[in-house]
Amino acid sequence: MPLKPIGIIPNPASGKDIRRLVAYGSVFDNNEKVNIVRRVVLGLDAMGVKDVFFMPDYFGIGVRAMEDLDLSLKANFLDMKVENTQDDSARAADILDKLGVACIITLGGDGTNRVVAKTCAQTPLLPISTGTNNVFPSMVEGTLAGMAAGVAALNSSSHSDFIKQVPQLVLKYGPVIVDIALIDVVVSKPGFIASRAVWDISSLQEIFLSKAEPGNIGFSSIGGHIADLPSTDGKGIHILIGPGQHEVKAPIAPGLIRSVPIKSYRLFEPGEKIPLLHTPAMIALDGERERIERKKKQATIEIDLEGPWVIDIPRALQQAAKQRLFVNPNPLRR
Amino acid sequence: MMDLSQEKLLEMYKKMVTIREFEQSLSEAVTGGTLPGFVHLGIGQEAIHVGLAFALRSTDWVSSTHRDHGMLIARGADIKRMRAEIFGKVTGYCKGKGGSMHLAVYDKGAPGCNGILGPSQTINNGIALALKKRGQGDIAVVLFGDGAAHRGEFHEALNLAACWKLPALAICVNNQYAISVCFDDACAIEDIAARSSGYGIPGLVVDGNDVMAVYEAISETVKSIREGKGPALLELKTRRFKGHFEGDPQSYKTPDEIEDEMKNDPIPIFAKQLLEQEITTEEKLKVIEEEVKKELQEAIEFTEKSEYPPLEEIYTDLVYEERRVV
Repeated sequence: MPLKPIGIIPNPASGKDIRRLVAYGSVFDNNEKVNIVRRVVLGLDAMGVKDVFFMPDYFGIGVRAMEDLDLSLKANFLDMKVENTQDDSARAADILDKLGVACIITLGGDGTNRVVAKTCAQTPLLPISTGTNNVFPSMVEGTLAGMAAGVAALNSSSHSDFIKQVPQLVLKYGPVIVDIALIDVVVSKPGFIASRAVWDISSLQEIFLSKAEPGNIGFSSIGGHIADLPSTDGKGIHILIGPGQHEVKAPIAPGLIRSVPIKSYRLFEPGEKIPLLHTPAMIALDGERERIERKKKQATIEIDLEGPWVIDIPRALQQAAKQRLFVNPNPLRR
Repeated sequence: MMDLSQEKLLEMYKKMVTIREFEQSLSEAVTGGTLPGFVHLGIGQEAIHVGLAFALRSTDWVSSTHRDHGMLIARGADIKRMRAEIFGKVTGYCKGKGGSMHLAVYDKGAPGCNGILGPSQTINNGIALALKKRGQGDIAVVLFGDGAAHRGEFHEALNLAACWKLPALAICVNNQYAISVCFDDACAIEDIAARSSGYGIPGLVVDGNDVMAVYEAISETVKSIREGKGPALLELKTRRFKGHFEGDPQSYKTPDEIEDEMKNDPIPIFAKQLLEQEITTEEKLKVIEEEVKKELQEAIEFTEKSEYPPLEEIYTDLVYEERRVV
């Protein structure tokens, strides 16, 4: 049976926001994304993948990555208009899902993956970190990511052990889903979306987390220091910011370690609807200011265990080892 | 992050509308044959002028380009004297001798618009050095386009500013065209701001059509510069809605491209933000727009009534007659 194709969504805008200025984030240059994609593609080709579908982008990450590569794998580019907005990633994920790719490899941060997760349906994600405060995607060598995606293509007849569904936070008005976040929803004083990132502790009011681990960078670390909550727990944590119980020293952005006053916190279970306590407010989803909430509509946050499916790269490669996919038992009979 | 009062926000909106109407009236004057010579209009780039002006102190300096009438208006220049200058009248800021391309308003920290791009960055280093020596925390800002960012002076000036830790902010207004040359055809990388790493200074790309994004990014950058941390490079991505000069048919752009760029008009974008945040109402915005039209009409009449400079003035003000200390 031919291997399923693989989708690649490289976000040319990730790793460039104002946190390069207000924190100590590094610029993630698009030429480096090209290099990563090139190694991903080499990994895929080595695994026997025949077709890759790229989201087109203004920098031409996919086009540049394929230059001068002599592969049996064929590169295809989605027939879609590039608007240079986050909607590009959402539309690409939808098209890739309908094409039936084995997985979508993303290059971006939490924000990029949030947008992709909204439309990728059941198609698993293989997220490579090229953003700023990344909890959802991993810093991983592109070659290994490509090989792991190849393992997914070889095992795509059923959801394997190395593909897990992760929780997500859901913003609702009554029963209506308005938006999602994969890691954090941050509620702060009302203002403008402007440069999108959140770094000013004095404006924070509430934080909701789907994953709270001290080893993370960003708001997830705040929760991690008061209640270690891996995403596998399936619970969420709601933190109220202000003088009270604790003060947590947390790395809220690269190089930006701040003392965050915690008034109170509590864990919440799937299905519990937690109302936003502060309105009007600016809502940031996975680190990006996205919307203003007003009193008119009672917004709630829930944790939903049926978020996107995600490929665990080390486990995928372990599975390949168990299947002896990379071992030629008869090297002399080539 | 942003602490602007309702009054300030509406003042920003009024400035943006004033710039738009002012520039539009110049376009009509060129078409009507009452304004001879070249004008380069900043229609579509109002968010940059206003976002920058409101993030600065009145004692900071801004060197600008031939497309920056809006910068002077945003910093509080009188549109009567602005228009009179552009029409070559003696009541203008430079007695009618600077015109559109060399408008200078010293009491608004504007040493002059400059049609020769590139050298303005090295000149700005001189202003920044003077401000550093004065030690009052003021900074020198220079605006230039994507075309100027490919000239040698860009690199020379950034390097020296970084070596001397000058209080200088370099702002590339990337409107995607250097006269008629498309950015993609002339630049090997997609962001001019990425060049900052070559000089060890901060660099950032900002949405130049969102006045609040511009204001926020510049406010944060300026804080660091005032603290003595040295210069920075910002790239404000935008579009110009008119040709390079008034009358340029823009045959180098496709009709689709022209239609697309108008979708990101900074004035409706800001109006929508103000309305969504319930900072104002549509009626109040209309009142502001009417006020602007009235003020512009007064500026038009002021210009019409003003005289051209007398012939005997032709050789005065050509060189400094006294040393001016910044």
